[in-house]
Amino acid sequence: MWLEGSALGYAMRNSGLWTYGVVNLAHIIGVATLFGSILMLDLKLLGLWRSIPLASLSRPAATLGAAGFILALITGLGLLATQATEYIGNPFFYIKFPAIALGLVNVLLIHRSAAWVAHRARDLSAREERQLAGMGGVSLLCWLTALSTGRMIGYW
Amino acid sequence: MRTQIFRPAVAAIACGAVFVLLPITASAHHGWGGNAREATEMTGTVMEGVSLAGPHATMKLNVNDEAWDITLAPPARTSRAGLQEGIIPVGATVTVNGNRNSDPDRLEMKTFMVKWGDQSFHVYPDR
Repeated sequence: MWLEGSALGYAMRNSGLWTYGVVNLAHIIGVATLFGSILMLDLKLLGLWRSIPLASLSRPAATLGAAGFILALITGLGLLATQATEYIGNPFFYIKFPAIALGLVNVLLIHRSAAWVAHRARDLSAREERQLAGMGGVSLLCWLTALSTGRMIGYW
Repeated sequence: MRTQIFRPAVAAIACGAVFVLLPITASAHHGWGGNAREATEMTGTVMEGVSLAGPHATMKLNVNDEAWDITLAPPARTSRAGLQEGIIPVGATVTVNGNRNSDPDRLEMKTFMVKWGDQSFHVYPDR
């Protein structure tokens, strides 16, 4: 596969004994950052912590989540390039990436929703809160699936 | 009220944790669970030489015309055992000791010892 034969793949395999381990570590830190911040945000959207305004959580959570995602994405490419052909046929692989894609689409929908756009300026209607709760639930499902299947790749 | 249920709950959790964390048998080590209980030995010729890339060092052996995936220790540990890339040439005859994959359709062995000529590479010294 071209990814395995790329310069990135070559660098991953030949730059040192600890390279894969360090890249893997950075990947986990990215995933943990992403999941931890999104977990809090999604639980808030689903109704927890009613006394805390959404506006207090939303920006730190979204910022951390984005940072975590970018780190996970870049390092994930490195991990993949190391031995891409080994993953052909691994079912966890084929669930993980659609889950991530769905999660990203959901992020787009949340950020473009009227409710999210307005949430810092005014109170939200019950209907708007329900809408955000629904998208928060989808978010949780997607990222939990991505995380879980990602971890299980190594056990196939 | 809260302290009355607190202490027994903590005790219960502590007992549970001890049970769960107790090593059950040697073969319950990290990573060896998916492999056969008994160690076996195989002799074959090298198809793909040792690679220290990825989460585990690997090599491929031709054993009786079957291609076997040999899973070694993590790269740093394999290297410390003296097994570097390029030492054992393709086509060389080696003997490996390890625990084969418990799935009979997977020709893969989690290997702790590689022997080539008069050299031994004990990548998992405690096995």
